[in-house]
Amino acid sequence: MTPEIKALHDIAVSNYWPALAPEIGLGVVALALLALELLLPKRQLATVIPRVAILGFVAALAWTLRDWSAVWLGHELFGGLVRQTTDSQIMRVFFLVASLLVSFIATIVLPKQKAPRVEFFHVLLVATGALMLLAQSNHFVLLFVALETVTVAFYILVSYFRASPLSLEAGLKYLVMGSLSSALLLFGIVLLYGIAGNPLLAGHTAQSMNFAALGEFLRHNPDEPLALVGAALVLSGIAFKIGAVPFQIWVPDVYQGAPTPVTAFLAVSSKAAGFALLLILVRGPFLPLAQVTLPLLSIFAALSLLFGNLAALPQRNVKRLMGLSGVSHAGFLLVGVVASIARTDAVSWAPAAVYFYLFTYLLGAMAVFGVMAHVAGDADADQDFRHYAGLARKSPLLGAVLACGIGSLAGIPPLAGFIGKLLIFVAAFHARLWILLGVAIVAVVVSIYYYFGWMRAAFYEEAPPSPERAAVVPLHLGVAASLTLVSLALATVLLGVYQGPFGQWIATR
Amino acid sequence: MTIPLNAYLIVAGLLFAIGFYGVLLRRNTLVIYMCLELMLNATTLALVAFSRFNGTADGNTFVFFIITVAAAEVAVGLAIIVQLFRQRQTVQVENLNALKN
Repeated sequence: MTPEIKALHDIAVSNYWPALAPEIGLGVVALALLALELLLPKRQLATVIPRVAILGFVAALAWTLRDWSAVWLGHELFGGLVRQTTDSQIMRVFFLVASLLVSFIATIVLPKQKAPRVEFFHVLLVATGALMLLAQSNHFVLLFVALETVTVAFYILVSYFRASPLSLEAGLKYLVMGSLSSALLLFGIVLLYGIAGNPLLAGHTAQSMNFAALGEFLRHNPDEPLALVGAALVLSGIAFKIGAVPFQIWVPDVYQGAPTPVTAFLAVSSKAAGFALLLILVRGPFLPLAQVTLPLLSIFAALSLLFGNLAALPQRNVKRLMGLSGVSHAGFLLVGVVASIARTDAVSWAPAAVYFYLFTYLLGAMAVFGVMAHVAGDADADQDFRHYAGLARKSPLLGAVLACGIGSLAGIPPLAGFIGKLLIFVAAFHARLWILLGVAIVAVVVSIYYYFGWMRAAFYEEAPPSPERAAVVPLHLGVAASLTLVSLALATVLLGVYQGPFGQWIATR
Repeated sequence: MTIPLNAYLIVAGLLFAIGFYGVLLRRNTLVIYMCLELMLNATTLALVAFSRFNGTADGNTFVFFIITVAAAEVAVGLAIIVQLFRQRQTVQVENLNALKN
């Protein structure tokens, strides 16, 4: 065998397709939905399509859990494009659970708006597959293609209510800002590729888009200016996706105009994808550049915490409130990321704290969005505190679920969100990030104010005497909807008092 | 005469900067969209120049992915812009401000 043939052979051997079975399965189900639309009679579509999609997510989830600790974890697959780790397995499960809950919210909201189902679930399935690929990427080509698949899917989903000018306007804003961030990210990738492959520099590599090879090059040249600019551009592109200050301008408008299930998907999965990428990059190839990544991410974190909370204070539209409070949650998560690279020896479990926080955010936010989907009237973008007046009296179940969700997001003990914030704070304490820790504690106090403004509306305010939208709140929810909401609320309580395998896993990191 | 790598990078950087400021400063959505494409093309130019200089084919291959992604983005983006124009009869940024507090 000549060396070229041997190189090709090595790549072919590393193409282990069963490792990607869940993602491929999601793609197959997405195509099957399009076929079903042609085959099934029209009136059955509305019930069958969501069920098929949900079945697809459950099957992919079961498959991922089956391969939870597969032998190929930690090895490079597909010629170095893919590298699955325990972290990537956690994020794959995260994205599948999040998409299941987004499907659930969509089954409530889409019928209200008389929106078509097939395209929504098709795009949702494709986006979830791409998100899962993103969490296991080990190469800038896969990172870029997966990220763009997710982003283009989000352009479609955000403007999905195409009869509503607000949804379209949100779609256009997300389109412009999303493309801008992608271009910044791409320029950063190109600079890193160019400098790491430069034959005139020591330690240059032929595989300069591979994370391991790039990390090796950066260890030899941690002061190369083009590499520093490239890394800063890549981090800025990711900061756009997670909505960290100063790249948060799109957040409130897009969150408000997007359909409620898409807002939930954006808030949870898109943000989590950004953090999965951040952890892969700053703890992998960018670790030698800590002199730049550390101050950059610290500034993002502090600004996000301050801005997100202060901007959320006067907010009365709940979708904008979720967006701006999401900015502050991004700040808390960034504190965890900073702690994970500030002193890698002292707090080796800091990434686990970030994952735990993401899961508590998933549960809390999905409970809140599930209630929002029920309370929302005909105008999806207009969901205000006043629509929540008297909610607890009209539907005690929705009120209780809302209380659990908001309480968890605000970080009230004994709910899950409290433990999530506590772990981040302890990590920041061990990493000696005193200033960030101080800012974060102030942010918690401020956030309680606006979260409880929402609670006050739901529990203590009377419904207006001639309620224009009183009929909107159903006294009897569907059985499936009640069960899902109650289990979400219970999960936030349970995860707060007992972390189980999660706690063990964090402790053994 | 060979053109040095730096010349390509300076042109690419200039194109990228023009696109970036165009996105921030222009008021017409379609022009903003053209500026976004300009930024992508600037990265492609830098990528091809680096690929030739470094002697690795990765960069050239990556260009095809970028072109494909840009095409998908344009297809979706123009659909949104056309639909928005049908509803609002405008594509000027200052008129698209229905979403606010």
